[in-house]
Amino acid sequence: MGLKGLKTKDKHIKNLAKIVGDRSILYHKEDLLAYDCDGFTIHKHLPKAVVFPKDTLEVSHLVKYCSDNGLPFLARGAGTGLSGGAIPINGEVVISLVKMKKLLSVDYENRRAVVEPGFVNLKLTNSISEKGYYYAPDPSSQYCCTIGGNVAENAGGAHCLKYGVTTNHILGLEVVLPNGEIIEIGNNGVPDVPGYDLLGLITGSEGTLGIVTKITVRILKNPEAKQTVLAYFDDVSDGSHAVSDIISAGIVPAALEMMDKTAIEGVEAAAFPVGHPRDIEALLLIEVDGISAGIDEQISQILDVCKNRNVREVKVAEDEAERARWWANRKTGFGAMGAISPDYLVQDGVIPRSRLPEVLNRIKQISEESGLRIANIFHAGDGNLHPLVLFDARIPGQTDLAIEAGSACLQACADVGGTITGEHGVGIEKKEEMRFVFTDEEIQAQTAIREVFNPENLLNAGKLFPSPGRCAEVKKEMKEAAL
Amino acid sequence: MLETVSLSDLTSILPQEQIMIEEENDHPLGNSGYITVFPQTEEEIQGILEYAGEHDKKIAIQGSGSKRGFGGQTDKADILLSLSKYKGIVEHTVGNMTITVKAGTTFHELQTYLAQHQQRVSLDPAWPEHATIGGIVASNESGPKRLGYGSSRDVVIGLRLVYPDGSIIRSGGKVVKNVAGYDMNKLFIGSMGTLGVVSEVVLKLRPLAKYESLVLLTFPDGNLETVRLFANSLLESVLEPVALELLNPALSEKLTGNKVYTLAISFEDVENAVHYQEEFVKRISPSQTHMEILQQEKAHAFWERFCILKPNGIQSSAEPETTVTVKISVTNLDVLQVLKESDLLQDSHNLVIHGHGGLGHGLCQVILEGTGDDILRAITYLRQFAESLNGYLIVTHLPFALRQQISVWGNQPSYFYLLEGIKAKVDPKRILNHKRFVGGI
Repeated sequence: MGLKGLKTKDKHIKNLAKIVGDRSILYHKEDLLAYDCDGFTIHKHLPKAVVFPKDTLEVSHLVKYCSDNGLPFLARGAGTGLSGGAIPINGEVVISLVKMKKLLSVDYENRRAVVEPGFVNLKLTNSISEKGYYYAPDPSSQYCCTIGGNVAENAGGAHCLKYGVTTNHILGLEVVLPNGEIIEIGNNGVPDVPGYDLLGLITGSEGTLGIVTKITVRILKNPEAKQTVLAYFDDVSDGSHAVSDIISAGIVPAALEMMDKTAIEGVEAAAFPVGHPRDIEALLLIEVDGISAGIDEQISQILDVCKNRNVREVKVAEDEAERARWWANRKTGFGAMGAISPDYLVQDGVIPRSRLPEVLNRIKQISEESGLRIANIFHAGDGNLHPLVLFDARIPGQTDLAIEAGSACLQACADVGGTITGEHGVGIEKKEEMRFVFTDEEIQAQTAIREVFNPENLLNAGKLFPSPGRCAEVKKEMKEAAL
Repeated sequence: MLETVSLSDLTSILPQEQIMIEEENDHPLGNSGYITVFPQTEEEIQGILEYAGEHDKKIAIQGSGSKRGFGGQTDKADILLSLSKYKGIVEHTVGNMTITVKAGTTFHELQTYLAQHQQRVSLDPAWPEHATIGGIVASNESGPKRLGYGSSRDVVIGLRLVYPDGSIIRSGGKVVKNVAGYDMNKLFIGSMGTLGVVSEVVLKLRPLAKYESLVLLTFPDGNLETVRLFANSLLESVLEPVALELLNPALSEKLTGNKVYTLAISFEDVENAVHYQEEFVKRISPSQTHMEILQQEKAHAFWERFCILKPNGIQSSAEPETTVTVKISVTNLDVLQVLKESDLLQDSHNLVIHGHGGLGHGLCQVILEGTGDDILRAITYLRQFAESLNGYLIVTHLPFALRQQISVWGNQPSYFYLLEGIKAKVDPKRILNHKRFVGGI
């Protein structure tokens, strides 16, 4: 070890290297380029350095060093976040948790597992599936995103309609606070720990309250049976109504997904086509799971609903292979847009399910007004829309136009009583849109909580909340009045 | 009587008929007020909080009063703010399966309304005819079906609160999936009214169960190892019980007439799936057990009787014997040890103890009857026992005089300063439910 390998005069880099070792720090510009953004690529900024701690203690020492020396810092997992939560906009020291990627223990009797934050989501299910268990939250990026990142973003997925999002599956956390202190919360699944629910508060706090270094998650027994239905509609609103009808029939599907015509064009042109007809307006992918004796009845009800809503064709997956093909086609849907557009921007609004037809119409209008195509791939069952705005960044002005169109889609969601993000987080992308759903007082109530944990605001600053607007406006007004 | 609050000040906030001056003697459960107000609008709640802030007054918050014996080091606050008149459905769109309801609405009123639409809130709290939705959320109350449906943190999607300074703060929203900003709902759920007055609750709904049955499986030989093996094989199987609650012999006798350990296993699904699961239980149940199955209304009726077992703060008893409830949380199957240990206390501490606990979720409710001293010793003993299992004991119903002699919440966590810091940010003047929560928050 020692410092002989380091070629820098920066004392902070030298000191950080002392904590993690020379081989676990990047500080040359060419190495840092890979860390200037995450899955949200519109804004970029170079970090000061990237460090790769191997355990909680190293994280704690790094955090303490940054905190003592006033260096901004943030945590990063696989960098798949879609809202820019891991972009070092203040030239942060990026604490990458990819080396902390162990599955620490599995306790089948109590249906829980303990993982390090860099452990990849899908690996957990793969590690326990032989015994008939799985980890429920399944974001589309699950083959590469980390559970630490899932906790930070409170990630969702296709199957959270029935099983809930990440927060419903987190039983305990080890957290390094912004002052370097290590705390354990949630007590590994003992329910209702006395005190405010910090577990629930920290989950989804987008890495602004602390850095999670160990996670106890709930694991579930595989359902006895599972059936998947694919339904093609000639009319989007028939598809939307079928969604409502299924839910109104008292069925709680495990997943209820929808794609529109543009989205279908994308997925069929990409790596996992399944032969959807190109001339349909919408498709639904519906999955029901549970006790086998109850499944057939629910499937036949779903088929009836689809027929009553003028479905062109509806079929039940014949085997696991077919089901897997349908899901691969759906889960790679965002990336598939690359096959029909040079660039795309994905949004993440949520609406009350009953407003689906009108919001889809509004999105169509936004598309026409902006002149940009917008594809829709979404979790219809819980009203979580993913409008994908297709654009070409090489054409001057199109990036801004796409951002505006995306924001208009979120406004449309907020206007019907919905929200601006269901599972991707606010990050830097939707900071200003927070005002679509929260008042200044409400935003302040949240930043007041941040101050308790992160009083110096060195940890992941400038994320999640809009820049203080009203105070600045008031001051400006006063100034103008004085003139 | 009116030493601290001026009636005329309050009548400028709300009509005189919504103000009651406490004439009675001290309430045995404490948490009362020199003056009680019954706001009917959110503006009135705001007005009262603003008044308290300006005049340095303390406010105790109450729904129906069924949890009056839960926590609190204050006999009488300056003002008791009752939400019992602040009730009603605000918004319900059937197809969205969400509902917005005012905090003082009782759980029973809410479920009765929703049942007309074949929907429900999937919680099963005690005393549904009294308990208000605000109180259930603020105290994070849950019942046996938590195994299948989770607790308040899984069903509350939005809250509207009046903050101590009188401002209106909404958390979450009206949609079932939402990660905009911090998940502030979680902070308020279970916060015992120490951060704000819950004004409205937005809940995610479920369809009414298409069919329900309850399997009562008795273990006459009292061997809890048999129960453990059976519970494990059931949880390992493909079955999806929504409750797997073990009743101690005393409780079982009260509910079924049989003084033996009894497992209450609930199934809710389409009818075929329910019967299929009953048959499955029959196949795997140990030979020495006895099984009874209650279908539909009978299962309902059982749970209805079950949820009114605990003492509540509205029946103020003047009996010499005291009845007390504690909630013990441990890891799932450790419930067996907790119930066994509490059973043993009956003889050693001269108590009658009714207890039950969820083998899939790890929460036990233990009701102790006896003299104050015996009860306090038993609580201390059980708390130590729970802690030896890495769990917790909190006292959810205890007369005020006894609460002054024992900690309701147990030890403070190492990160207590964060909890204290949150309280200090939100309620710097300590107006709301002062000292009702962990560590005197």
